[in-house]
Amino acid sequence: MPYLFLTPWLLGAIGLTVAPMVVSLYLSFTDYDLFNEPHWVGFDNYAKLFGDDPRYLDSVVVTLKYVVWSVPSKLLLALAVALLLNSLRGKGQAFFRSAFYAPSLLGASVGLALAWRAIFDTWVDTPDYALITIVLLSAWQFGAPMVIFLAGLQQIPRDLFDAAAVDGAGWWRRLWSITLPMLSPVLFFNLVLETIHAFQAFTQAFVVSGGRGGPADSTLFYTLYLYERGFTEFRMGYASAMAWVLLVAIAVVTAVLFRTSRYWVFYGDER
Amino acid sequence: MEAHKIVGLLLCTALAASGCGSSSSSGQTEIRFIWWGNDDRAKVTNEAVKLFESRNTNIKVSTSFQNFQNYFEKLSTEIAGGNAPDVIQMDYRYLNEYAGRNVLLDLTPYVGKEIRTADWDQGFIGSGKLKGRQVAMPLAQNSTTIVYDPKLFTAAGVAEPKIGWSWADYKEIAGRIQASTGGKVAGSTDFGGTEDVFETWLRQRGKALYTDDGELGYSKDDLRAFWQLSKDFRDSNATTPAELVTTLNAGAEQTPMGKRLSASEHSYDSLYGGYNTVRPDELKLGPYPSDSLEVLGSYRKPSQLISASARTKNKDAAVKLIDFLLNDQDAGKILGANRGLPANLKIRESVAQNLSGANKVIFEYQKSVDAELGDAPAAPPKGDGTIYKLMQRKHEEVVFGKKTIDQALDEFWRDAEDALK
Repeated sequence: MPYLFLTPWLLGAIGLTVAPMVVSLYLSFTDYDLFNEPHWVGFDNYAKLFGDDPRYLDSVVVTLKYVVWSVPSKLLLALAVALLLNSLRGKGQAFFRSAFYAPSLLGASVGLALAWRAIFDTWVDTPDYALITIVLLSAWQFGAPMVIFLAGLQQIPRDLFDAAAVDGAGWWRRLWSITLPMLSPVLFFNLVLETIHAFQAFTQAFVVSGGRGGPADSTLFYTLYLYERGFTEFRMGYASAMAWVLLVAIAVVTAVLFRTSRYWVFYGDER
Repeated sequence: MEAHKIVGLLLCTALAASGCGSSSSSGQTEIRFIWWGNDDRAKVTNEAVKLFESRNTNIKVSTSFQNFQNYFEKLSTEIAGGNAPDVIQMDYRYLNEYAGRNVLLDLTPYVGKEIRTADWDQGFIGSGKLKGRQVAMPLAQNSTTIVYDPKLFTAAGVAEPKIGWSWADYKEIAGRIQASTGGKVAGSTDFGGTEDVFETWLRQRGKALYTDDGELGYSKDDLRAFWQLSKDFRDSNATTPAELVTTLNAGAEQTPMGKRLSASEHSYDSLYGGYNTVRPDELKLGPYPSDSLEVLGSYRKPSQLISASARTKNKDAAVKLIDFLLNDQDAGKILGANRGLPANLKIRESVAQNLSGANKVIFEYQKSVDAELGDAPAAPPKGDGTIYKLMQRKHEEVVFGKKTIDQALDEFWRDAEDALK
C-alpha cells in the first residue's frame, strides 16, 4: 500500500531519470550519432577524452576555474549580506531580504544573461575577462544561499552573544568564535549545493558567449562543450561519456567535501 | 527494442508538448514543413503554403520555423525522436551532416518529373547532389559580397569596390578610411576567421576548401598566407580591433557593420535585408577584391536547400510541396526574393520585373557579378561545421595574441583532420 502512494513519484523517477541515465551509460560506450544504430566501441570515447582531446582538457580547466572562483565569491557575498540583514532585525529586514533575493529569482534566465552581455560588452569579447564576467554574474545571484544563511543566523541563540559580550568579546571575535562555528552546518550545506551547481553551469556561458564558449575558448564550460559535441557535432556517444565523467567527478568532489566536513563543521550536540 | 528507439521514445516523452507522431486519417494526408528565418519569411512562406493547400485539398501542411541558431538543434532532436518533419529547409553546410547519416530522402527519381527542372540552370541543380544522389533541391541563390558604406568611402576620397580591385587595394583603401575617421570606424571587418572568405580567396588561387574525396583542398601554406593577409590588415590599421572578431557570428545587426564600427564587411548578398533593417538605404554591395584578373572566387551558392525526410510516410505529398515551392509561378510571386534569387529562372525573371528596397540591391549586385560567378562546388563534407567554428576559434587565438600563426595553424590542422575522420 505505501508503494501505491509512491507510484506517481516512482514512475517519474524511473521513466524520466533512471532509465535515461542507464541508456546514456550504455550510449557512452557506443558511437551513437543521434540518427543511426549505435555501435559498441568499448572504452574508446573515454580513452579519447583523456588521451586525445586537448579541448576537453581546456574545458575542464575553465570549469574548475569557474568553480574555484564563483563558489567562494558567491558564498562570501551571501554571508556578508546575510550578516548585514541579520543586524537589521525588524528594521525593513523583510524588504531588503526580498530586494537582495530578487536577482536569484531571475535565476539562469536568458534575458538576464543577455543584459549582462550588453553591460560587459567589451569584457565579454576579450578572452582574459570573459570568464570573470560570468563569475560576477553568478556571484551577483547570491540570493538563495543568503536566505539560507539568514535563517541559520537567526537560529543562533542570543544568549551566546550576550555572554561573549559580557566577557568583552568584540565583533570579530564573536563572528569567529560563535557565528561561524554555529553557522558551519549551513555553510557546509550551501557549499555542497553551490559547488554542484557551479560544475553544471550552462545557461550563462551559453548566452554570454553565443553558444560558442568563446572568445578563444575562454568560457568553454564543460557542459557547453558536451552540448556542442552532442547536438552540433552529433557525437552523442562521446557526449554521454562526458556526462558520466562529470557525474563521477561531482560525486567525488562531494564525497571529499563530506570527508573534510568532520574537521570544520560543528553540530551543536558534539563536544 | 534497439537503443536509439528507446532514446527516441524518451525524447518523445520529453517533447510530448510538441505532439509526437502525427497521424493521418480519413484520406487526408498531413505533412510537416519546417524552416529557419524571421517573421517576414514566415509570413510569405505560410501564404504560399495556404495556396498549396487550397489547390491540394487532400493535403494538410503544418508549418513551424525557428531562428538559424536553434534550428538544427531542434531538427536533430526531432529526427532522433522519430518525429522528423516531412519537408525540411536545409543548409549547404549541413547537407552532408544529415544526408551522410541517411536521414534525407533521395530525390533523384523525381527530378525532371514530379520536380520540374526545365527552367533551371542545370549546374545549379547539382549543388543539391551528394555522390550522385539528389538529397536536396536548392531553393535560391546567393553569393559572397563586400557590403560597404559608400559615404565613408567618399569622405575618405577612395574608390568604391569594383571588379578588378586587388587585396592590396583593399588594404590601402581600408587604411585610408580608418585614418579619415580618426580610427573611430574601422576600414574593414577582420575576415581572417571566416571560412566563407577563406573559400572565396582560395578559389581566386585556383584551389578549393575540399577535394572531391572530402579531404582538405588546401595546404598549411595557403592558410598561413591567408592569416598573414588578415594580420597585414591589422598591422596597417585597416581593420577592426580584436574584441570585435567574436561578434561575427550573430545577426547582421550585431556585426561591426551593423553597429557602425566598420566601413566594409565580408558577407552574403542574401543577408542584405538584415543590414538594411538596422541601416536602411545606407549600404551598398560590391564584389570581393581578387589578385587574379580571371577569377572573382564568388560562386552561385545555394542560400538554402529543401529536402524531404527519408522516413516520411507521405513521399508524394512532400515531393509535391517541394515542387510547388520551387516551380509554381504564383508561389514564386508570393515568396519573391525572400530566400535569395529564386532557383527557377523563369520565376527569377518575373520577380525581377518589379523590385524594390533590399531585393533590388541584391538583384542588381547579382547582375553586376553574374558573368564572374562560378558553379557551386560539391557540398562540404561531414565535419565542415566543426571546421568552420575551429577556424574562427584558432584565428581568435591569433588575434588576441594567445598563439602565433604557426602554433594556431598546427592545432587547426590536427583538429581539422580529426573532424573529417
